[in-house]
Amino acid sequence: MKIRKGWYALFTVPLMSIFVIVVIIPFIIGIGYSFVEWDGFAKHAATFVGLRNYAEVFRDQRFINAALRTTVFTAIAVLSVNFFGLVFSLIVTTKLKARNIVRTMLFVPYLIGGLILGYIWKSVFSEFFLSIGWGNWLTDPVKALAAMIIVTTWQLAGYVMIVYITGLMAIPDDVIEAAEVDGASYFQTLFQIRFPLLMPSFTICLFLALSNCFKVYDVNISLTGAGPSYQSEMFSLNIYNEIFEQSNFGYGQAKAIIFFLIIAVVTLLQVRATKKREVSL
Amino acid sequence: MNTKVKKSKAENPLINALVILACCCYLFPIYLILTNSFKSRAEMYENMMALPSKLSMKYYIRALDKMNFMISLRNSVIMTVFSIVMIVVLTSMTAWVLARSADRWSRFLFGVLVATMLIPFQTIMMPLMQEMNWIGQNLHIQMTDTLPGLMFMYIGFGAGMGVFLYHGFISSVPISLEEAATIDGCSTWGLFWKIVFPILKPTTMTVIILDVIWIWNDYLLPSLTLKSKMNRTIPISTAKFFGQYTISWNEAMAALVVTIIPVALFYLSCQKYIVKGVAAGAVKG
Amino acid sequence: MKRNRKITAVVLTAAMAAGVCLSGCGSSQSGQSADTAQSTTDETDTTAENTTAEAADTSAKDGTVTIFQSKTEIMDQLNACAEDFTKETGIKAEVWETSGDSYYTDLKTDMSTNAGPTLFSLAPGAESKEMSDYLADLSALSFTDKIVKGMADTIDNRTVGIPYTMEGFGLVYDGALADPSTLTSTDALISYLQKEKAAGINGLGLSQEDYFLIMHILNTPFAIQSDPDAYLQDVLSGKVRMIDAPAFQEFAKLMEAIRANCTNPVDVTYDNNCGDFATGKTAIIHQGNWCYSMFKDYDVSFDMGLAPLPLEGNQKIAVSVPAAWYVNTDAPAADQAAAKQFLEWLYTSKTGTDYLMNQFGFIPVIDGMTSDQLDPISKSVAEAAASGNTIPWSLSNWPAGISTTLAPIAKEFFTSDMTGEELVNQLNDAFTAAK
Repeated sequence: MKIRKGWYALFTVPLMSIFVIVVIIPFIIGIGYSFVEWDGFAKHAATFVGLRNYAEVFRDQRFINAALRTTVFTAIAVLSVNFFGLVFSLIVTTKLKARNIVRTMLFVPYLIGGLILGYIWKSVFSEFFLSIGWGNWLTDPVKALAAMIIVTTWQLAGYVMIVYITGLMAIPDDVIEAAEVDGASYFQTLFQIRFPLLMPSFTICLFLALSNCFKVYDVNISLTGAGPSYQSEMFSLNIYNEIFEQSNFGYGQAKAIIFFLIIAVVTLLQVRATKKREVSL
Repeated sequence: MNTKVKKSKAENPLINALVILACCCYLFPIYLILTNSFKSRAEMYENMMALPSKLSMKYYIRALDKMNFMISLRNSVIMTVFSIVMIVVLTSMTAWVLARSADRWSRFLFGVLVATMLIPFQTIMMPLMQEMNWIGQNLHIQMTDTLPGLMFMYIGFGAGMGVFLYHGFISSVPISLEEAATIDGCSTWGLFWKIVFPILKPTTMTVIILDVIWIWNDYLLPSLTLKSKMNRTIPISTAKFFGQYTISWNEAMAALVVTIIPVALFYLSCQKYIVKGVAAGAVKG
Repeated sequence: MKRNRKITAVVLTAAMAAGVCLSGCGSSQSGQSADTAQSTTDETDTTAENTTAEAADTSAKDGTVTIFQSKTEIMDQLNACAEDFTKETGIKAEVWETSGDSYYTDLKTDMSTNAGPTLFSLAPGAESKEMSDYLADLSALSFTDKIVKGMADTIDNRTVGIPYTMEGFGLVYDGALADPSTLTSTDALISYLQKEKAAGINGLGLSQEDYFLIMHILNTPFAIQSDPDAYLQDVLSGKVRMIDAPAFQEFAKLMEAIRANCTNPVDVTYDNNCGDFATGKTAIIHQGNWCYSMFKDYDVSFDMGLAPLPLEGNQKIAVSVPAAWYVNTDAPAADQAAAKQFLEWLYTSKTGTDYLMNQFGFIPVIDGMTSDQLDPISKSVAEAAASGNTIPWSLSNWPAGISTTLAPIAKEFFTSDMTGEELVNQLNDAFTAAK
């Protein structure tokens, strides 16, 4: 189907111009900053240093560790968020009587935003776990990372559940009923009929989880505060500290750009891969 | 027969009760927020996990008062509603034309929109504020410290996810319907609003739910742009419970509960609609 | 694909150009704004003199004070205070909201975009030095010469910061469990900790937050050097090693004793640290007068007070100004004049001082000002300050953001078998790396 140029412009220009003003221009200014050394105060001179900031990033062990850690965290968290989100969505789309209340309850964690959630979980992982003899998880680097994955999953599973529900509801009942009449078991219909039809939802949910996990900040600062010894510091917090605590504005931007390029490539590959497997009705 | 078996299983009160019980365990942190919003500092220290000794609304009343609740609520509602309406209208339109014209340019625009969802906000906040202040000083359009300016920014930041969600679902909508409507003489504008947009209702609900919660709870962006007392939104007005040394836990949690209630109610009312919307869409499709 | 590559190339070039531009504009702008800043300071200096002379000035009347400050505890009272100020003087005043955590970030962003407040707070020291060219000269205010000696923030002979209050930290002790007169040396303190452990009481409680874990306690060995500022510079430049100073050797011993005899601070939050103290489970906490408000919900029956941390027999409490008021030189002249008028009113008028002493609960920082509202810990601080029995907060001169490097080291110390000497050396390395 062909959409004429005029209509194309009318439909896209309003959003795209706002988008360019709010996101693209600041982003390009940000790229510009990555070539200078500057402490962030308008009155203080910025010196052009070319690619030096970028060269330094590759020598910054703490940043490289944070970036690798973020990658591991994201990989595990994305899988667990989607696993639980999918299971939840399957539960609440059955004929279960309590499905409506269950759906609401599972979604509630996502309603609580910001830092306070991290503080609450912090007391669970430290005080509560100490009181039941499991030890303080937040002082052990591996367990602290596990704690972050748990909290992220807890918060985001309900979020992707919403998208999966939309996808599941869109599958016509007759397709599944027909399969069941043919004697297919629950898992057969699940894997052979529902999942292939759910591919667009998978693409969306994987990406939503991915972008949320890569950017994780609130939970990082309020739950573990990067501790112990920076061993749970994630990428966003590292950049934030570089820019606002250490006042290395240009260098912090260079880090951000490099990391952005890496994730963008990874994500686009992922989106392309899942897109290929989508089936249309 | 199979479905009958499942139905009886699904109606079994024991299974239903078990599932609800499991959900209650899942919501343990929420329990902590609720109970501790009634406790004094000493009582919370004594035992954080226990039920409060008495249900006094003291901390709620104090929190509401300190937050200047009615004004904050009004601002939050206005800001959220307008931003969401604009996001839904603009992103659905854009996503549809991008999805339906498969040329290179459309794919490029889509790629850019999606890729920017990965930018951590912290890295562009300073350039963004510089740009907004520049606009205010040179073009005399006040972008900072006004609700419309903030809504404008939310549209920009919400663009990526909105287009992404719509784009994904438009691809799975059969194109034949649209072609038929075009043959019947529908203009592109009419085609979109009369045929396409209604089919997208489930996605619209998803976008609304996800964005409402994001915008409602967002702290950093409003804290950078909104300064005057009259413009404060709920998240900014709860910030005062987090002192440099001391956090007034009870008031902070009471404030949190009060903040969640409107979105929770909103979600409950939307939930029915999702189901209905899907059913309606399925019949038409 | 080709086209995409072309677009990428264009974007990259644009960004590079932006970089060059920014550095260019940055330097020229900085020169220019420094000039304008100079002239505005001159201008407002004269207006400030007028205000003090006539107590009413047309330019201040036209201005608006926008106040942005980090102490969330006094937010509501400050709002009321601003209203009273407007009522009494007719000058508009507005308070911006903040949370303690994001205050400095928000302020920096505002400043970097030329949209800063007129009157704001900073911690005197590293923060105020970093921003020194944004700070207006406040020497002309009528009360600056009456500020308690050493408490005003002075940069290049200009008084730029007016102190809020005084804060002091050291050993906050439970009078029923600890007798400060016996704790006069590091060894005495260590044997006290061992004795208390045997009695099932936590002798000295630290907590997991950066400042309460390491920053405050590490201040003492720096502050008791004969010239703390010079010593800090020597440490930063690598000229001396901390471990060679006796004060740090005792610090190392004390930290080992805390790890061996007290509750692991990494598992304790500030809230619980104060709770343990209020309920008699902990005898001493290393805290300051700010923590008194934490005890208000408990029935505390014992006497408490603030004692010095006795490294090398130190008998002085670390007292300083946690935050001070600054006026932004980038604000319009009329607003700056209004801000100065606000400070004048706050520190000299009857209503203003009532807010300072009774509503905000501040410890007086102006000679002759008294407060009868002080809690026991604040009283110890005020007494120490009055008798000159104080050591400085060296930590406010430490490199900005160093708490985020020191705290992880301390956390590792408390959860491993690192020796005290290794701890001091690692902390030292963090200082030399930060500069």
